[in-house]
Amino acid sequence: MDAIRQNINVSQAVAEGLRLEMEADEHVLVIGEDVGRQGGVFGSTRGLQKAFGAERVLDTPISEMAFTGMAVGLAMEGYRPVVEIMFADFIGVCLEQVFNAIAKNPYMSGGATPMPIVIKTAGGAIGSAAQHSQTLWGLYAHLPGLRVVAPSSPHDSKGMMAAAVQSPDPVVFIEHKGLLLKKASSFSHGTDVPRERYTVPLDRAHVVREGRDVTIATLSASVGDALDAAEALALDGIDVEVLDLRSVVPLDWDGITASLRKTRRLLVVDEDYLGFGLSGELITGAIERLGLDGLDSVSRHGLANVPVPASKTLEQAVLPSAASIARAVRESGAGR
Amino acid sequence: MREFEEACARGVAERHIHGEVHLAIGQEAIGAALAGVLRDSDAMVSTHRNHLHAIAKGVPLHPMLAEIFERATGLCGGFGGHMHLFDPARRFSTTGIVGGSLPVALGHAYAARLRGDDAVAVAVVGDGSVNTGGFAESMNMAGAMKLPLVVVVENNEWAISVPFSQASATATIAERAAAFGARGVRVDGLDYERVREAFIDAVDSARAGGGPVIVEATCYRFRGHYEGDLDLYRDQGDKESRREQRDPLAMARAELLESGAADEPELARIDEEVRAEIGGLVQRVLADPFPDPETARRHVFASGLDLPAGV
Repeated sequence: MDAIRQNINVSQAVAEGLRLEMEADEHVLVIGEDVGRQGGVFGSTRGLQKAFGAERVLDTPISEMAFTGMAVGLAMEGYRPVVEIMFADFIGVCLEQVFNAIAKNPYMSGGATPMPIVIKTAGGAIGSAAQHSQTLWGLYAHLPGLRVVAPSSPHDSKGMMAAAVQSPDPVVFIEHKGLLLKKASSFSHGTDVPRERYTVPLDRAHVVREGRDVTIATLSASVGDALDAAEALALDGIDVEVLDLRSVVPLDWDGITASLRKTRRLLVVDEDYLGFGLSGELITGAIERLGLDGLDSVSRHGLANVPVPASKTLEQAVLPSAASIARAVRESGAGR
Repeated sequence: MREFEEACARGVAERHIHGEVHLAIGQEAIGAALAGVLRDSDAMVSTHRNHLHAIAKGVPLHPMLAEIFERATGLCGGFGGHMHLFDPARRFSTTGIVGGSLPVALGHAYAARLRGDDAVAVAVVGDGSVNTGGFAESMNMAGAMKLPLVVVVENNEWAISVPFSQASATATIAERAAAFGARGVRVDGLDYERVREAFIDAVDSARAGGGPVIVEATCYRFRGHYEGDLDLYRDQGDKESRREQRDPLAMARAELLESGAADEPELARIDEEVRAEIGGLVQRVLADPFPDPETARRHVFASGLDLPAGV
């Protein structure tokens, strides 16, 4: 496929992915608050209602429990709903339908009732404080039955949304608010967004930067920060491999272990809460697979276990950044 | 229905069922009234107390009882159990979460709108569910969009141990319908004819584009919330007198005899036939195999994705 450089932003890439899937399959529909007339508060459903009508791109009342459960009934009727929960933080009001119905119906029905639903939501901290800045992929990942993905680039955003819509499994698709309005040209990876329909597999990590000394395993907006950190560390002679996990469930263990066999050092960078989450899972899983002798170091760097504060100085104090990632790599002993 | 549920009660007592079971003994007039009204293309979404609704929707008895008895031959292969019955062919499903069935039924109703056909969606819920946010959200959306949603509320007066009178700001549930642009009707849920009339009327109205309807059917559960519930929260004298005086089965029987629609020998013959049928069914189910433990990780993902155990 010839990659065509479209200098679109991530939300446009997501909307383009959705549009092509809706053109290909009339059973795909989008449901949520402000997804129609407004095209999403971040623009990631822009143009869809005009193209497909108000019934297939449905502006709902502020009733997440009702419209998320509605997706369950629609899936049972053969539709493939994409439900937008505007901010990942709002999932609390409808989590019941997410984890008791969407995630479990395929299992409880003995495979008779698949739930091909995409829960599309925006996470990430951009100064919006504790109720609008969480990523929560660790929370979703804890619940069996949900695939959980978070793309880091315009290219992957379009292709992974397409794959999510096509998946017979429920997929939680977590956009990053800090990336959505960034144009392709401002990314250092994944800038080519073909106009045509394509998918990016939902279960393959991506080596965004090759390196020998340490593997930074991360995802979403932290991939860009990790790349910046890697550039800075290269000046010190530390050769960092940056692994974009892309998917939290499933974790691409083949990709992760291949990288770790080379570098033997793992730093997990996670914008989600550190406790009981992705970093602990990844490090434990790596040790289970490679053995304590298979690694020279493991460490993690992420959101300290506090709600995200409002003030910029406080926010910067608790979130990973390029500078703090570089610091964490140095502290991990890489390059010694 | 009574015989089927008594077989389930025995299944718990004899430890053939190891999970909890919620029976609707005493509420059969409502279940019976729903039977045969809906088409396969109409959806019904029920609750944790769901057996009678499944029977009413035409779910076959053997796979249903086998699921309740946790067997591999069950409707869901033993993965769901009594609270989680799924029969996609008949558009029947349930949830174990109070109030959780309403939003799902809303989705079925919206599917009918999208297809442009005249299918209706029925949510059967208990009185406890009407105090959940999901009830208010779903009713409002159904009203705003004029969706073909029929909500049958079995008001048995008790949400486990909390009486409806103490839990509701309104004296009835039907009167809440007005707030959602819906029609509301309250009927005596012990009276098969009245419930059936109201239900058919509601389904016809929703099918014709009249928007959502709430049918509140008053009743009383004869058993505890679940099998094994000591049920100490209800007045025992009241419970006994209701069981004796207000048993919908006995009432229907008396009415059939009085109207001359049936005589004693005929009813006795039907009783005998039903006992034999359910007895045979139980024997069949007890001979059915349990699910193979090796398959416990199946079906987590419809795609066949299998995560390593522990991760």
